[in-house]
Amino acid sequence: MPEIKLEGIRKHYGSIKAADGLEFTVKDGEYLCLLGPTGAGKTTALRIIAGLTEPDSGKVFFDGRDVTDIEPEDRKAVLLSQTYSLFPHMTVAENVLFGPNIRNWPEEVRVKTLANMLDLVRLTRRSDAYPKELSGGMQQRTALARALASGAEVLLLDEPLRALDARLRISLRYELRSLAKSLGITTIHVTHDQDEALVMADRIAVIRKGKVQQIGTPIEVFERPISPFVANFLGQSNFLQGSVTHVDGMTEVRDEQGRTVAAGTANVEVGERVAVGIKVGNTEITKERYGYLQGIVERTLFEGRNIFVDVMVAGLGRFSSRIPAGRSREFSVGDKVSIKWSPEKATVFRLKDRSLDDELRVE
Amino acid sequence: MGPPMKRTERLVNFVSGRKFRKSWYAFIIAFFLIFVILPTIYVLTYTYTQWNAIQSNVLDNKETVDMILGAIAASFEIAAIVTIVDFVVGLPMAWMLVRKKFRGKNFLDTLIDMPLVVPTAALGFSSAIFWAATPSAMNAPPFALGAITSPMLLIILLHIVFSYPYMVRSLAAILEQIDETYEIAGQTLGASKLTAVRTITLPLFRAGLVTGIILCFSRSLSETGGTMIALSTMANSAGFNTGPTLIGTWKKLSGSNPDLIPQLAFVSILLIIIALVLLVILKLVVMKVRLPMGKVWPTPEKILSRGLVPKMKDGSTVLFLAVFILIPSFFIFSFVATSSAAVGDWAPFLNSLGYSFAIAVIVTVIDLALGIPLALYIARNPSKKISHSLDILVNVPLIVPTAALGFSLGQFWTDQTLIPSVPTLLIILAHVAFTYPLVVRNVTGAMEEIDPSYEETARTLGAKPIQGFRRVLYPMIKSSILAGSIMAFTRSLGETGATQSVVSDVITAPVYIVQLVNTNQYYLAGLACIILIIVSYAAMLLLRYLTRKKQGAL
Repeated sequence: MPEIKLEGIRKHYGSIKAADGLEFTVKDGEYLCLLGPTGAGKTTALRIIAGLTEPDSGKVFFDGRDVTDIEPEDRKAVLLSQTYSLFPHMTVAENVLFGPNIRNWPEEVRVKTLANMLDLVRLTRRSDAYPKELSGGMQQRTALARALASGAEVLLLDEPLRALDARLRISLRYELRSLAKSLGITTIHVTHDQDEALVMADRIAVIRKGKVQQIGTPIEVFERPISPFVANFLGQSNFLQGSVTHVDGMTEVRDEQGRTVAAGTANVEVGERVAVGIKVGNTEITKERYGYLQGIVERTLFEGRNIFVDVMVAGLGRFSSRIPAGRSREFSVGDKVSIKWSPEKATVFRLKDRSLDDELRVE
Repeated sequence: MGPPMKRTERLVNFVSGRKFRKSWYAFIIAFFLIFVILPTIYVLTYTYTQWNAIQSNVLDNKETVDMILGAIAASFEIAAIVTIVDFVVGLPMAWMLVRKKFRGKNFLDTLIDMPLVVPTAALGFSSAIFWAATPSAMNAPPFALGAITSPMLLIILLHIVFSYPYMVRSLAAILEQIDETYEIAGQTLGASKLTAVRTITLPLFRAGLVTGIILCFSRSLSETGGTMIALSTMANSAGFNTGPTLIGTWKKLSGSNPDLIPQLAFVSILLIIIALVLLVILKLVVMKVRLPMGKVWPTPEKILSRGLVPKMKDGSTVLFLAVFILIPSFFIFSFVATSSAAVGDWAPFLNSLGYSFAIAVIVTVIDLALGIPLALYIARNPSKKISHSLDILVNVPLIVPTAALGFSLGQFWTDQTLIPSVPTLLIILAHVAFTYPLVVRNVTGAMEEIDPSYEETARTLGAKPIQGFRRVLYPMIKSSILAGSIMAFTRSLGETGATQSVVSDVITAPVYIVQLVNTNQYYLAGLACIILIIVSYAAMLLLRYLTRKKQGAL
């Protein structure tokens, strides 16, 4: 199965830059998630790899071979659209056989492929059904079988779980990944759901405004985000801005109102403008008065296993903390609380001349 | 695998190459511009090249100018009145067909399309016998109305017959797409039924309204054959002319009197320009004008929403269909049944019918072969400027009156010297020009409804573009292709104006019927009409059969 490499891909529609120097590599047999907000250029990247959209400039390589000018039908890279695009006038079996029929494979190979594929996705008994007679999950499996039957070497999944209901979506995560991994197919999975990406991907590429912001394993991008945007997009974070006052293994940052907080190691200099980001799960609140920041509980949100406590901090805005639901009785609206965190769990980002708001903006 | 398979494969590979695809689309667009658009508006260049002749033969002659302006004014007045009437009576009908459930709905649905299968020549004859005071030589059946003596009124009644189905169909098509939940939401917010419909649904309606208006207006403006027949059937038409009938009459005379060319050119130019201006106004203005829909009169509207009023509305809608559309369309049967048989020579009519049939078949084949690719191009490149312009240009031959189109096209092909202007070839080209848009429109519309991801997925699964079309797209748009081709076929079969004005001496079936009426051979004309109706009706049944079969497979 091919290794896919994108080099300096640019594509704009009018003034919108859907790809702005997009570059990344997907290894042979790897399951890569392209994660980003709506309009970041995820689908454009997928379409360029499939050959359905021509980039303005830049190149696409499959195993080192330049395929930028190769027609979609000759790439063996199958796109699964959000709605699966099952051909409505064909049965499940006819849909699955679409690729083999087009390629004119010998009859016995076709029969065998069909049987194998239907078996693989557990749809043998529904082979004569039309797509509209199938449930969402079955439609998705049919589309997958159709892609695999065509001899696909690359699977391009555009939000493949979006149209399913919440429970099914979660159970299919594992199924989809293990199918692709067991067949060794190079897979690119586009999603805007961070949980989905964290659970499914070998590596995650976070994209924003047509550029890759960070690429790495789920643990890397979650725990060592390289920008406030990545920190906030994967597991919501609280932020404050200030300048570095002290560097010594840990970093000390003072904000405009003179509050000093501690954060982890960072390659910054004293006096530099930085942002400090703390994941909501690492943000602790307490009623004792020895935290970095003081505030008043504004609301609590019950989310089953966890509860979110939103605290209003004067001059800074809202800080959220995720605590186990068992502690829900500890805090009520109006309580005066203090906020703290372990310094190594707080990440320092150099801001240079950019503002934090620009860094965090999702569009 | 045998060698023939390999040959097909090689062909598929060849036509799927990027270079071939690019040149193929370039060819399709060039065909459309050179063979359809350019000839349609060619006569406009006469304002520049032949101005002197127009000046001396037309403008300096007050009588001619008055005659031309009178005819054109009559044409537009008729078209405007017809369109308004169609809207007023077509809206409740479209409403019934889409929103109401009742027994016999399918039957009613079929009845609406009936006038479409009757060639306008036959319609003109049939309506005139029913409505108009006819000469005694004709022996109209005693139960014919025989009351209309105003030619203008007769033509309005005639044009309503064949434009009504277009309005109902356009409005119904849009209405089907408007979600009823909007109205229901309006009603749960306290609006009466009428208020909800008027303030919520109607404003969403504009696109369908524009299509309906363009179709009705242009059909009325274009109509030649039926109008000429109706005028010569009525007892005293007192030299009444519409723009197209003027062209028809003069073109026939121009065979012996070439001095009439400037007059013909002038009428055609006026008709084309005014039609184009109206098209632009409709396209640009109607979509933007804000209708004062916000005002609400709760009490009277509540009263009108309940009880007897809606029932009366539905009843009168159906009554209108029966009296003003269906009876005039098919009155011809009772006329032939009550007339005493006349012996005639059938050979010329059958020859002309065969000729018309052959033309219609060839024209439909050309329309399909070259129209579907253009539709594909327009529907699949919506962001390109050129496809947007093509989309607008496609409407031009639809709105330009066919008589003017025919004259312009005839002049274009005779003025050039590259291709010999054989009459049959000219007629085919003329018919292609005004039927081509019907195929393109239908197919573009269907294709725009279909998510391009189907074809794209097919391609990533290994299908060449042509295989993707054949196996994926074609089955989904088959019924629209069929609808478009039947429209093109019946329009070609029934067309009089373009045929007469492109070549003055070729006899197609509708032209022959016009001649029969002009020479008072009413019985033969009636029978010929009936044969034409049967042939067209058979074509429509075929369409219904084929599309139904397709739905069964889904």
